Amino acid sequence: MASALKTYGTLIGFVLVVLFFWIEIPDTFMTAKNWLNISQQVSMLAVVAFTMTIVMVMGDFDLSVGSMASLAGIVAALAFRDGHGVWVGVALALAVGLVGGLLNGALVAYVGILPFVATLGTLTVYSGLAFLVSGGKTIFGRDIPTAFSGFARSGISLTDTVSLPSLTIVAALVLLVVWFTLEQTTFGRRLYAIGGNKEAARLAGIRVRRLRFLAFGLSGLGAATAGLMYASRVASANPTQGSGLMLDAIAAVFLGMTMSEEGEPHVLATLVGVLILGVLGNGLTQMSIDSYVREVLIGSIIVLAVASSSLGKTKG
Amino acid sequence: MTATLRMRLPAAALFLSAVFATGAAMAAGKIAVITPYLAQPGTQFYVEAFQAAAKDKAWDVNVIDTKGDVAAVISRLEDAATQKVDAVVINVDPAQVEAGLAAVKDAGIPVVGMDAGASPYLVTNVTSNGYAMAADTAAYVANRIEGKGNVVMFVFDAFPPVQVRGVIADAVFGNNPDIKVLDRVTPDVSDGGIADSRAKMEAILAANPDKGSISAVWAAWDQPALGALQAIEAAGRQDEGIVITGIDANPQAREAIAAGGNFEASMAQDFHGIGAAAAEAVAQTLSGKPPKSSVTYVPTKLITIDNVKE
Repeated sequence: MASALKTYGTLIGFVLVVLFFWIEIPDTFMTAKNWLNISQQVSMLAVVAFTMTIVMVMGDFDLSVGSMASLAGIVAALAFRDGHGVWVGVALALAVGLVGGLLNGALVAYVGILPFVATLGTLTVYSGLAFLVSGGKTIFGRDIPTAFSGFARSGISLTDTVSLPSLTIVAALVLLVVWFTLEQTTFGRRLYAIGGNKEAARLAGIRVRRLRFLAFGLSGLGAATAGLMYASRVASANPTQGSGLMLDAIAAVFLGMTMSEEGEPHVLATLVGVLILGVLGNGLTQMSIDSYVREVLIGSIIVLAVASSSLGKTKG
Repeated sequence: MTATLRMRLPAAALFLSAVFATGAAMAAGKIAVITPYLAQPGTQFYVEAFQAAAKDKAWDVNVIDTKGDVAAVISRLEDAATQKVDAVVINVDPAQVEAGLAAVKDAGIPVVGMDAGASPYLVTNVTSNGYAMAADTAAYVANRIEGKGNVVMFVFDAFPPVQVRGVIADAVFGNNPDIKVLDRVTPDVSDGGIADSRAKMEAILAANPDKGSISAVWAAWDQPALGALQAIEAAGRQDEGIVITGIDANPQAREAIAAGGNFEASMAQDFHGIGAAAAEAVAQTLSGKPPKSSVTYVPTKLITIDNVKE
């Protein structure tokens, strides 16, 4: 019983938060439409958090994801402005994400800089590049093709009034890919081995450097994907627009980690973390609770969840 | 022990919710004010004035600051639509949040813009009148130089809100047969606008070396006016009586006006007035008589050395 609570405490907490909003906002919270809304609202954060899970599995961090998301949006928007098609812009942005991520990987795995320091450095570099290539301006209006901005507003109709948003579908696909990669492939299991003990993993014949290099590449790719989703949703690109994603993504992974016996990140647990953040944002807004109080609440809940988990471990 | 600790999170959530739930009292109207820019002084003034007006009307106002995150504005607009608030007020470019505005419109909730930009999704956008601001400063220039002399204009036609100012100033100067527009300069604004305006003005001063050959500089916003002032002072021609005007009355411009030099006038927007007028527009909309015009103008004020300290 105690062990079940230990593993499912955060999940139970999530369910209680949901129940609470259901009782407080009976008419509008627990509706298909609202949940599809929430899924769309968290989709960008979810993609960053899912791919962040890949590096956090190895005990690493990627602080540059927010800047990379901004940069990717800017790159795509500039390509659109120069008259390139939607797919060219999207491909360029994803390529920038992959290269930027691999650069992080090279700094961490081959140069041997601590991930915190390496990605703090590239955070600034990517942010600077986003300002540099955009001239600090927001790119919007006619420069953004409607085929691109329309994507975030499109979806698959489920009923007359409810549709499954395209952004939600993208996030679900990324979830599936990351889950398969981490849980069902040798590559993924080796990343967990590295997270368990780098030295032991290396002695066991795992090519630690190469795997860390690649994992950061995936994180960069995920950040660029989220940046494109963001740019599509706001039909514009601004050199700072992704900056809020990084801390929320790390918070979501941490929330998810409290659900694991070993304190390991798992992408399905990260999904719960993302949903906790999204549901709080949605529910508290519907209850007209002040936005700064909301910040304090969300932060406190993260600390409470992680604290109760670590206290549980030391005592249990 | 573990179990108790594990249960703290939900218990805390329930406790906090009990505290906040009592705050959501019944009110005459539930209004969501959504902006990513609450950290900016202008926005703070709008919102404070809006809240003051809302208090008189016993509205339940929820101010949501997404801290620069424009996508979060869309999310919060969707939440407001789900929540079925009575009205929404936004202070963000409507073109960037159309997805959210569409959701609010589908829910049948009116949206009022508070210096937001024009959009078919808005009942009305409450803002300052760019036409009037340009007319006031251009007329000030024309009157100060007594309807004759050479005027240098600084314009920026690529940005619609500034472009309209130039059009009006053209009309005012064109209506004075003895005023000649010497040059209509579009400065490079990538460095903020002051430095390039200064360089352009230096070139114009060099091309027109005689005293009295330039009577005034009319700028469509403050930065070029400040650049022109620097150029005139650097050229040692500050005593020729060249009149400079700007628009926006930013702190640097106010300082220059207070110093009593060539920079004589600028236009101040009434941020409190915009907030109060937005509240009035919401009130009219809720009472079933929405404002007729898609734009609601709030009067602006000419700032000169006489009132710059107010």
